[in-house]
Amino acid sequence: MSFVLRIQPVVAAVLFAALVGCANDPAPTEQLKLTEQAVAQAQAVGATDEEPDLVNAQTKLTQARADMADQSYKAARMHAEQAELDARLAEARVLTQKSEAQVAQVNARLERLRKQLGAGQ
Amino acid sequence: MNAVSRSLGFGLLLASAGLAGCAGHQGSDQALQGAVADYQKVKEDTNVLRSAPKDVIRAGELLGRAERLSSYIGSADDVTHYAYLSSRYSAIAREHSKLLLNQEKLARLELERQRLQLALREAKLAGAQQQGQWAEDQVVSLSTQQNERGLVMTLGDMLFDTGRAELKSSANRTVLKVVQFLQFNPRRVVRIEGYTDSTGDGQENLTLSKDRAQAVADVLSDLGIEEERIQVEGYGDQYPVDVNTSERGRAQNRRVEIVFSDDKGRLSAPR
Repeated sequence: MSFVLRIQPVVAAVLFAALVGCANDPAPTEQLKLTEQAVAQAQAVGATDEEPDLVNAQTKLTQARADMADQSYKAARMHAEQAELDARLAEARVLTQKSEAQVAQVNARLERLRKQLGAGQ
Repeated sequence: MNAVSRSLGFGLLLASAGLAGCAGHQGSDQALQGAVADYQKVKEDTNVLRSAPKDVIRAGELLGRAERLSSYIGSADDVTHYAYLSSRYSAIAREHSKLLLNQEKLARLELERQRLQLALREAKLAGAQQQGQWAEDQVVSLSTQQNERGLVMTLGDMLFDTGRAELKSSANRTVLKVVQFLQFNPRRVVRIEGYTDSTGDGQENLTLSKDRAQAVADVLSDLGIEEERIQVEGYGDQYPVDVNTSERGRAQNRRVEIVFSDDKGRLSAPR
């Protein structure tokens, strides 16, 4: 009996701490929307599953949704924040790659033009 | 005695929790150091600072947050998180900077391309004028006709050396005419089709016909026609216009045809 009585305050304290933890982290609904937009944006510019950061973003977004369902709002926010930046990085990488391809293409055209001008003279 | 052992047990529990916190600490230290290194690199790169200042500022803010948190016990997860976000912003800043540099480079290259296109056009025009009447004769042998495929211009075999794909300079006048026509009719597009006679290997003929058509397309694009307006097809020895049994017939069959769309940009379907 005395054992039960003594252990109870500890349990109460732990429970209280857990509750306080929950109260500090509101549901990150806005962040999830932002993340979803970032992922969609990356896909819109042409990022595919071959872009590892897009895969990271999608995995973490899925995790964030699961955290939301479990009401683990802090974990949800962290996963969503990371996923947002993963997606933005994937988008930036794709755009850089595209611009590199464009530079290569214009360089090839210039090469051809110089060759023709050289041959004509 | 009982109470003492119990409080000891509770103490042990707390200590082990603290230890677990320490174990996480090592990973967070690593993440923090990585983020510091990433931030240092972008901060010192004037190109990154110029092209992506906002991303660099965000990386710095998040790094500051991770550093402040690292002085608290039990914050390892948060430190790792903010260090990760900071590193990502540094990487994004680097990508944005690369993109901007490439765009600036493209603008410079595009100017150079326009300059060279103009020079090439002048060179071709001068060449065509020098050839004068002789070139005119060559052009006469090219025929342009309207049939069910649309307006079709045929570039004869004499505009290429045997077995070679490069256009000879005697084609200058014709090519310039086509370019001028396409520039006056900006909505028209073309399909350039290569054909050979039936002598030799079929696969090689297919390649040669495609290469010759591509050579014409390249010249048009070099003279300023947008590549999006030019399609290229090689048909090898298919669709002869004459018999392959006579020299004259074979010469007729070796040709490049330029099929023009109507003025709405509608092109007949490829064969």
